[in-house]
Amino acid sequence: MSSYDRNSERNSATPSSSSRLAVDSGSGASSRPRESTILTGRTLVRVICTAGSGALEYTHAFVTAYAADHLRAAVAQRLSVGAYELLSNALNFGSVSSDIVIELIESDNMVGVRVENDAIAARISMLTEHLLKLKTNAEQTFMEELRRSVTGGIPRPMLGLARVTHEVGLTLDLQVQERRIAVTAQCRR
Amino acid sequence: MSQFTVVQVPKAETIAIQVTAPNQVKLSGTITQKDPATDLAGFFKALHTAALADKLTEVRADVSGLTFVNSSAIRLFVDWATWVKNERGHRYTLRFITSRNVTWQKTSFMALMSLAKEVLAIEHVT
Repeated sequence: MSSYDRNSERNSATPSSSSRLAVDSGSGASSRPRESTILTGRTLVRVICTAGSGALEYTHAFVTAYAADHLRAAVAQRLSVGAYELLSNALNFGSVSSDIVIELIESDNMVGVRVENDAIAARISMLTEHLLKLKTNAEQTFMEELRRSVTGGIPRPMLGLARVTHEVGLTLDLQVQERRIAVTAQCRR
Repeated sequence: MSQFTVVQVPKAETIAIQVTAPNQVKLSGTITQKDPATDLAGFFKALHTAALADKLTEVRADVSGLTFVNSSAIRLFVDWATWVKNERGHRYTLRFITSRNVTWQKTSFMALMSLAKEVLAIEHVT
């Protein structure tokens, strides 16, 4: 099951000033509607970083190590992929002047990684459009992006988010507030 | 003399690479650098070229110890499979040795298999 808030029901890739879009994982997540709810709970760890040499590798290594130490191994592995790809997107497509915040969050049933950053409207539209494709068919989108990664093309291949939903089965949730975006990848604990 | 076993192994911070005779390459660790092609694309291409020169019928790429790779690294495996697939003369089977315990490997290599099944084989270890 996937859910939109009222602002997103227009089914448009154009971002509104405040909107939300959720994309469930492709592996039978329809029987787990609670995964589409906004993840709220205890922040296990929060890291603030800026674009720069090693930001991706070192931040990812830290978050992965923390997750491996605090969560079940299988869950930690899945979140590690989510953390890397969300952070990579934020660094590649976000506004360079803004901080990027990455958090590990847990609730009673769920755990997830959330990345927040600023982005220009065109980038938010692109992200929303890509999430809509994933929402329609995560597996097909994954295969398309894998093929495009060989042939190249414009826009450039976006395999990362397809990996997050299809490969490691995390539910994605996008929240947009003006130019601030928060993408959460979550699963059951 | 085997060309395959004398391929120069790149030095990369987070990954250990071992080439063993006659046809195996083992990669373990993680691939997280933004552009892993810098270190690995040339290496994979050299292994491919050497495998053709040695007329190998199979190359075994043991990735079971690769606990994390980014999507740029997955593209490198896709590239390797594509080189073999596009080979007009002698070609070999590229056999990936994967782990059931590493989440990312399950889906990615099955997907890769569907793109180049005529030249790929997947083997699972625990």
